Amino acid sequence: MTAVVQAEGLTKYYGKRRGLEDLTLEIQPGEIFGYLGPNGAGKTTTIRLLLDVIRPTRGLVRVLGADPREPAIRSRIGYLPGELALEGRDRARDYLRFLGRVRGGVPDARIDALAERFDADLSVPMRKLSKGNKQKVGLIQAFMHEPEFLILDEPTGGLDPLVQQEFLALVREVRTSGRTVLMSSHVLAEVESVSDRVGIVRAGRLVAVENVAALREKAVRRVELHFESPVPRAAFEDLPGVRDLRVEGASVSCTIDGRPDALIKAAARFTVVHLVSAEPDLEEIFLTYYSDEERHHDRQESA
Amino acid sequence: MIAKSLRDYRRALIWWTIGISAFLTLYLSIYENVRQDPATFNAQAMAKFPGALRDLMGGMGDLSVGAGYLQSVVYQLFVPMLFIVCATLLAHRAIAQPEEAGTLELVVTLPVDRQRLVLQRFVALAVALLAVAVVTFGVVWAVGESVQIGVPFDRMLAAQTGVFLLGLFCGTVALTVGAATGRKTIASAVVGVWVVAGYVVVTVGRSVEAISWLKWVSPFHYYTEGRPLYEGLPVGDYLVLAGATAVLVLTAVLAFDRRDIGV
Ligand SMILES: Nc1ncnc2c1ncn2[C@@H]1O[C@H](COP(=O)(O)OP(=O)(O)O)[C@@H](O)[C@H]1O
Ligand SMILES: [Mg+2]
Repeated sequence: MTAVVQAEGLTKYYGKRRGLEDLTLEIQPGEIFGYLGPNGAGKTTTIRLLLDVIRPTRGLVRVLGADPREPAIRSRIGYLPGELALEGRDRARDYLRFLGRVRGGVPDARIDALAERFDADLSVPMRKLSKGNKQKVGLIQAFMHEPEFLILDEPTGGLDPLVQQEFLALVREVRTSGRTVLMSSHVLAEVESVSDRVGIVRAGRLVAVENVAALREKAVRRVELHFESPVPRAAFEDLPGVRDLRVEGASVSCTIDGRPDALIKAAARFTVVHLVSAEPDLEEIFLTYYSDEERHHDRQESA
Repeated sequence: MIAKSLRDYRRALIWWTIGISAFLTLYLSIYENVRQDPATFNAQAMAKFPGALRDLMGGMGDLSVGAGYLQSVVYQLFVPMLFIVCATLLAHRAIAQPEEAGTLELVVTLPVDRQRLVLQRFVALAVALLAVAVVTFGVVWAVGESVQIGVPFDRMLAAQTGVFLLGLFCGTVALTVGAATGRKTIASAVVGVWVVAGYVVVTVGRSVEAISWLKWVSPFHYYTEGRPLYEGLPVGDYLVLAGATAVLVLTAVLAFDRRDIGV
């Protein structure tokens, strides 16, 4: 199977300003790829290169197996720009219909169904749309022709939580149907629940690509167990992955690295009345993980 | 795509057509009085426009003759300028304006070839301008008839064709600069300088040795030199205007195809 995105040494300079440096990345069909980085990292630059809005200074890029310059592949892509501008007296619905026609036809029913899911009013002239509604129209146009590949630049910006949930549900449906998504964000929390892999860009460079499931396994989690009667400390000591153990009467708290399996089996010998496990903050792990890595890297370079 | 552009231009087109038609009707209906009392009017006009200003108005022929009046009052300065401004504003809407507003980004990611996009926008501009030219021609003709201006249909049509070609040329300059730079102000500036300098060169400047050769690059040279109202369709001159427009469109297509959008 050919990769949906294939970039090799992809570099973009705006005059002297660096936009993106030496990006090498492959995104496989059916994958949801979260593209993370602080503002100005180079996310939008990467995305615009994939869509041939801007042209690379150096390097190679192929999208859906073709050169992004080929217009035909763009009908197989859905794109939500990072700074979406919608203007004019046209009603949103008419504009969506127009986009649909140019992309080879989209049934009205599909537009309506999406509008209903996002609770978007399409009878409003575009210049009168609020920021949130513009973003909804942007999402509808990206999804409406059921593209093989969705490129979404900061899709959740300006959406209220309910619509965000609906959006994430839609992304999951896209994955179920075997299609591919690249979505950028500056916070991991927004994309971690749907992403298969995440890549981190900083100052124009891709510094890491990680599997989200693997990351979760690595995650440090705080766990609290409450038992019916006091438990001996010895029963929980030296379990693999268990750290910061505290046993106080009938309650045990600790952090676990990776799988909670050993802890659960140890606890199963007693009567558990209550269990609390906080969701790990992947972002934090990620950032500490990679700032360590960077420090390591810096040390190597200075050596 | 073309239909969509035209629909977007609709409102502006209606207003421009109404405006130009009103201007034409107003000025042509005065001709009735001029015809009845030519001596006073010519004298008044001479007094109102002293030497250099008269040059700027293209010399001003005998205003009491239909063709002279039509040329000086309608086809010399005001109507061409209205067409040029109209064409330039429409041309901005092809590339530069949507690019500055950010709406072009989504359009260039549609499955449409960039070269084709520029061509379509040019065709929309040409069709829109043609519509204005056709309707206003109807107005010139009808009002001209009613005040007995006495200029044959084909001569009038020749002059109107010239206005259309001139407007289209200037609009295409704006479109091309916009397609190459993505900036409205640069496009307007280029059109403005070219038009004003070009006009001065063929009027006041025609007697100034040092700059008179510049008339070859002035669009007005090809517009007025053939005196269409008196002598009919100046085929050669108009072909130069049309050819220059075609070259500009080609430039626009190539320039737009090569560059980054929205940077
Ligand atoms: N049009 C531009 N002209 C000059 N520099 C730009 C332009 N667009 C982006 N940049 C620079 O490129 C870098 C990456 O920007 P961008 O890709 O927009 O980041 P992100 O989308 O991750 O916030 C930034 O340093 C930014 O200043
Ligand atoms: Mg961005």
